[in-house]
Amino acid sequence: MQDNLQFTPTEFISVVNQTLEYSYGSISLVGEVASFKVNQGKWVFFDIKDEESSVSCFMTLYQLRMPLEDGMKVEIRGVPKVTKWGKFSFTVTAIKPVGEGSIKKAYELLKKKLADEGLFDERKKRPLPTDLARIGVISSTNAAGYADFIKIINARWGGIKIQVAHTQVQGLDAPDQIIRALKYFNEKSEVQVIAVLRGGGSADDLSCFNDEKLVREIAASRIPVITGIGHEIDESLADLAADVRASTPSNAAEILTPDKNAIKLNIESMVLRLNNLIFEKIRAEKSEIQEKILRVVREIKNKIEVLDSDVKQKIKIIEALNPEKVLKQGYAILNGKISPGSVVKITTHKKEIKAEIKEIYERK
Amino acid sequence: MKENKTLNQKINELEESTDWFYSDKFNLDDAVTKYKTAISLAKEVQKDLDSLKNEIEVLAEDFSK
Repeated sequence: MQDNLQFTPTEFISVVNQTLEYSYGSISLVGEVASFKVNQGKWVFFDIKDEESSVSCFMTLYQLRMPLEDGMKVEIRGVPKVTKWGKFSFTVTAIKPVGEGSIKKAYELLKKKLADEGLFDERKKRPLPTDLARIGVISSTNAAGYADFIKIINARWGGIKIQVAHTQVQGLDAPDQIIRALKYFNEKSEVQVIAVLRGGGSADDLSCFNDEKLVREIAASRIPVITGIGHEIDESLADLAADVRASTPSNAAEILTPDKNAIKLNIESMVLRLNNLIFEKIRAEKSEIQEKILRVVREIKNKIEVLDSDVKQKIKIIEALNPEKVLKQGYAILNGKISPGSVVKITTHKKEIKAEIKEIYERK
Repeated sequence: MKENKTLNQKINELEESTDWFYSDKFNLDDAVTKYKTAISLAKEVQKDLDSLKNEIEVLAEDFSK
């Protein structure tokens, strides 16, 4: 080890910074925020502290993607540095709330801010395309939520081209990776919908979906976005900004696709109903024809009966008028000139008689 | 030449041909032909559904940078 090294202050600070960079690179600190302030609308200063120590932190406002207040517990990532004034500072490159209280606080503050801007306005929500051919998925291909989505979508439907952007879905790097994937799909792909997916996890695991820049990117996406993040009870700001919120990755697959098994059952049932309908129509038609035939037969029968009765009646009349029948009753038929002295012919039932008329009287 | 219809087009066509049987246009003279067409379409749709496969492509892009 060299001793008694001599530097100018600038050289010394440069050597110290090089040493720090070489020794630590990027490191994370977890602690409570104190003395938070924003200068000139661009520079953010705060201290991060625990019970015994405090570290001065610096970052740009652009990098601050969550609401920050004194007392919030955060995880910051960055590099330690000595400024040209010899002051030790931690240059923050990423920050996120940790612990239930801070996550909730940051969530509520950002939710209000973005809601006031209209980012979650229901009127801005777009319907998802119904005849899907291309889906963009943003998720970790190692995550259980992604596996669930693929399993369900493959079981339900097919013929879809699914492009998957593999990104982290938790941690400080996740928001930027997801943003890059969103930009990729919006600028370089022809997907019809983007699904942002992540399975269940702790509030801390899911907190990356409350990143302000990510939430804004989702809201600004040209392509409709569906989120399936966590479980039913988990609600992230990404969910609120998305066009459609699915309760889980599996639910996202259900929303995006029809169920081919249900369709097959419907078709089977439709064929069955059609068979029944045709049989029923044929039966009804047959029954109608039979009814018509019966009606015609009845009609003919009635007419025959009427005619028969008519004929019988006429026969009776004719029979009643038959001269032979009259003769049988004891009457006789007289032919010839009715005058005294004339010879007339008298026909009885059994005999024909010639007789002379003696006298003619008027009946009294 | 056989027309290439999408699965959704076939499903819609099947629904339309089924509706005919429940409409006032129904008549037994046309029913047999229409029934045969509907059944053939139903079988085709079921076959298509069975053969459906998704194509999954994990993008080569590195989104960590």
